Amino acid sequence: MIPTPARLRLPALLLCAASAQAPAMASIEVPPQDGELAERLLRSGERAYVAKSYKEALDTWNQLLQSAPKTDQAAQALLLLARHQVVVELKPEAALPLLDRLKAEFIKSSAAPEGLVLRGEILARMARKPSDLKDAIAEFNRVLDLFPDHAAGADALAGLGRAARDQGQWGLALGRFTEAYRTAPDGPGACRSLLEAAEILDVQGDLNGCLRLLQRIRTTAPQSPEAQEAAWRILVRVRHRIQKPPLKLEGPWPAGKVKWLKTPTLLATTAEGLPVVFQYDLDRAFLIREGEAQPLGTAPVPGTRAMALGADDSLVLVSTKTGVSRTGGSTPLPPLIGAPTGAFLDRWGTLWVSDAKNAGLLLVGADGTTRSLPTPAAVALAAHPAGGAVLASDGNRALLVVNPEGQTLLSIPYGKDLPTAFKNVVALATDGAGHIAALVDGGDFGEGVVVYGPDGALLRQATFKALGISGRITSLALDRQGGILICDRRNDTLLRLN
Amino acid sequence: MRLHPLRCLPALILVAAPAPEAAAQDPALKDTFLQAKALWSTQGNREEAAGRFEKVIEALAPKAAALPPEWVQVLSESYNWLAVLDDRSPQTRSRARARFEALIALNPDFEVDRGITSSKLSAMYDTLKSEKLASLRLSYAPEGGTLTVDGRPSALLPRKFLPYGTHKLSYAKPGHASFETVVELGPREAKALEFKLTRTSSTLTLFVNPSGAEVLLDGRALGHTKGAAGPESTALAAKANLRPEDLSEGFVVGDLKPGEHTLEIRASCFRPKLLKVGRELTEPMADHLLEPVKLEASKGLLTVQSPWEGGELFLNGQSYGSLPVDKAPVCSGTYDLLVRFPSGGYSSRVEVLEGKPLSLEARPRPRLAFVGLEGTQDFTGRARLLSLLSSLGDKVHSVAYLPSRPGESAKDALARLRAGREAELFLLASPVPDKVIHQVALQISTFEGEEERLVVKPLEADPLGGLIQRLNALPPLSEPSLGISLVDLRGEAPLVLSADPMALKAGVIAGRSLTALNGKPVTGVLAFRQALAETKADKASITQGAAPLPLGITREALEIPLTSSRYVYPFLLSHLRLQLLGARGEEAAQLKLNLALALMHFRKFDKALELLRDTRLAATRGVSQGTLDYYTGVCFLKLGGVYISEAAQAFRAALKAKDATLFGPDGPLVAPLAKAALDELKL
Repeated sequence: MIPTPARLRLPALLLCAASAQAPAMASIEVPPQDGELAERLLRSGERAYVAKSYKEALDTWNQLLQSAPKTDQAAQALLLLARHQVVVELKPEAALPLLDRLKAEFIKSSAAPEGLVLRGEILARMARKPSDLKDAIAEFNRVLDLFPDHAAGADALAGLGRAARDQGQWGLALGRFTEAYRTAPDGPGACRSLLEAAEILDVQGDLNGCLRLLQRIRTTAPQSPEAQEAAWRILVRVRHRIQKPPLKLEGPWPAGKVKWLKTPTLLATTAEGLPVVFQYDLDRAFLIREGEAQPLGTAPVPGTRAMALGADDSLVLVSTKTGVSRTGGSTPLPPLIGAPTGAFLDRWGTLWVSDAKNAGLLLVGADGTTRSLPTPAAVALAAHPAGGAVLASDGNRALLVVNPEGQTLLSIPYGKDLPTAFKNVVALATDGAGHIAALVDGGDFGEGVVVYGPDGALLRQATFKALGISGRITSLALDRQGGILICDRRNDTLLRLN
Repeated sequence: MRLHPLRCLPALILVAAPAPEAAAQDPALKDTFLQAKALWSTQGNREEAAGRFEKVIEALAPKAAALPPEWVQVLSESYNWLAVLDDRSPQTRSRARARFEALIALNPDFEVDRGITSSKLSAMYDTLKSEKLASLRLSYAPEGGTLTVDGRPSALLPRKFLPYGTHKLSYAKPGHASFETVVELGPREAKALEFKLTRTSSTLTLFVNPSGAEVLLDGRALGHTKGAAGPESTALAAKANLRPEDLSEGFVVGDLKPGEHTLEIRASCFRPKLLKVGRELTEPMADHLLEPVKLEASKGLLTVQSPWEGGELFLNGQSYGSLPVDKAPVCSGTYDLLVRFPSGGYSSRVEVLEGKPLSLEARPRPRLAFVGLEGTQDFTGRARLLSLLSSLGDKVHSVAYLPSRPGESAKDALARLRAGREAELFLLASPVPDKVIHQVALQISTFEGEEERLVVKPLEADPLGGLIQRLNALPPLSEPSLGISLVDLRGEAPLVLSADPMALKAGVIAGRSLTALNGKPVTGVLAFRQALAETKADKASITQGAAPLPLGITREALEIPLTSSRYVYPFLLSHLRLQLLGARGEEAAQLKLNLALALMHFRKFDKALELLRDTRLAATRGVSQGTLDYYTGVCFLKLGGVYISEAAQAFRAALKAKDATLFGPDGPLVAPLAKAALDELKL
């Protein structure tokens, strides 16, 4: 899953610049003196905003809304106030009333197109299931219908692309992202659209097309954040799917760090690609940054069996003792979850949990509602980049890729393409590029690691015996250099396979 | 080059060259003069002779002040002859005095011909002369210099007659210090004056073929050779196998101080000649005559062609006829080359090298006419902005810029340009209405009406900087390719992702790194593309770990961006339209596709479809026929529900193009996009 759209992460200081490019499309008739006063108030507020005197800026814009409520500047003030709620206050829901007013009273103003796009993006972000995207889609379409020549059209197209992607309409999403890029190839969202389009191509099975588009980002905008992201997305795909070098033990990771952890049992990866390790003896998760472990969360969570990270790096721990622990507190374990084996948070904020003893996956929505998907009991679980999950069923002796409706999209028999089969799966990991890594055990294969591609083809594999690993490996994660990190709880160490 | 000591040249009468129009006289007048002399001396026909002399005087006297020396002599002799003829008859005798008075006024130094003039008449002439003029005896050492009297050139004569009063005389000769003096002449006074010059330097006298060459001494321009050498230079000219008239008059290089010098003689269309002047020519100081200097012609061959019709070639403003111009001999040098087309123009500064062919293809550029600044309202920075707009053509090389005409209103200019189709693009400046004008809108529009608006501030540092940058920018329509796709890997050589059949046949292995291009290490895809773009040859070699593989360089088509702040789209449209006029085959089809995209920028989907409908691209990979089909479908969709079936048909065609891409060879495949579009149509 690709992170939040750039629009919602704009630095506050850019707001003024964004509003200054208002095109001459306002058709609001106002007395000249009102327009002059409104302009002065708008600029005065902007100056204060640039100086980060937010209160003064907001007061000035509110004064503008009261003293010259029919002006185009009033519409711009509403947009700026709404953006402030999103970017600075981080309360997108508080922006909606402002944008509703903008939409209702100022649809002909210069701020309307951007206001509608922002409203659509907030609605999309607040959606908790695919059908919730309906209003956001309508808003984006409204921008395209009402303002076909406006620069915000590219943002609306990208919004439609994301909505289609989140609804699993890959072809439609590809078309929208491509159109968004074609409409504004120099625009701030162009590389992001190209990145999204590239990922969809991979989902559709066009690896070369995906890599070509990722490379295009690197070539045309080498300094952009998207180019950095494209770099690792290219690298992991080339390593795992094209070069496929034999796995080798590189040694402890970070290099030289041995026996520095307290019984590491679980691994996950942040949106930024940094590993998070849960240390069983400390009952806490730690972010590994620049070789150092930084604690995450506020309190220890004993009995943790599964760990999940949200798109905004929010941490969820699933414990047999304390239930589901989040930043805001804990809730009891949902029914049918007695022996959690895996968890992850999807794009909607829904927590997916698997249980070793009970069939089915349990989905806990952001609003606390639960539902289950009819699947076999899973001994391991990971998010699938296409929107569903990948689970390991020892009973079925297969890895199963299921969509949010519980349909099995892909089944990879244990031992597929291997000379000898394994019997159990200990842990699963995925990356944002469609790869599935499994920590396996038993059978003639024994302990080891296998990596499968999005189509279920075996890409890389090695037994721990062949790698010379003798510890107790409990979890794994795919890194952004085409390597694999594994937890050795016996030796209190992380190891890297390359 | 051999040098000769200066021989005694025939005494030259050096006078200032008259104005060309004054010097030009009817040659028949000279005949009239000679006939008059012959009529009397050989036939004794006084009446006929007098009539002819009168005709000569009638023709020359009104412009006596501007006559060259030769004609002053003719006029003077005519007066003399007429005085003699008048004196022969009692009826006309009284007129002789008037003839002499006119003669003295015209040419005080003239000596009457004592052979035909009676002693009585001669005495009258002397008396008349002495009443008005004083006699001054002059001697010159050395001879051959130039004499000026009261600032005007004068003939070198041993005796001069000057009006009474004060006169300033100076005598100068190259290589000598000039002499200047003032004499006071009273009635019936006779004085003598001796000019004796002191030598200060050596001199060189040059005769150059061709005449008109510039002469420089030690890099300092001395002047140009002129005129033609006389018969006295026959022997000299023969040494260079030339006729005297092929040589210039002698050009004297004076002020040649002791030491070594460099003399340069150069002329347009000829190879410059450098002469080393050694010490033997400057020490001791003397006058020297050089052998004739013959400059060798220096020409190149210029070929100018154009696929566009109706072009006319101009070099430095001079017409060289209609295109094509094939291997035309052109003097070597730098030229402002201009080709005028019925639509658009092409201009370039070119250098023609001696003996070298220069070949170029002229592709017309759109003409951008600045129609003016609307309105008369004054505002701060108005003059500055107008000045910048007037000189915009100096900085924009992608268009032929036509400045506004002084005094013509923007409206009139627009009407004139439209009526005469004198430009493809129009630039109109309009102040943005406000209480105080701080912004001016620059509107660029095509003849067909597509327009773009840019607001500038007259007082900003470089109000036109952005416009100039964008007008000079043209998106590439193709890029060099070896038929391989590469991806960057951090810290490693790029990987060959895929290769076309030709590259595979040449031995390229997909999935393997590319380590070198033309023997030089490749660090990344960007560096590879830059190095390939700089490769002049039509082949390049790549290395994938083993022996280098030679690959042919082809060009892959690119799309222009549908919207980009880097370009001025009205200009882009005009440019593509002009390019299309001269394009054929596949190139024309590619141009039509891009022209359609530029029209899509302006949401003129119907116009874009007009172009796309009947265009076929032979290419099947990259930006190709499938791309064109896809955009055809997109345009039909934009026209609304009426054309849904046509849109579906176009997308179905695009669906079959498995290797077609958007944007460029590394863009997304068209087929999945066409499929998505078809799926959406079914919804």
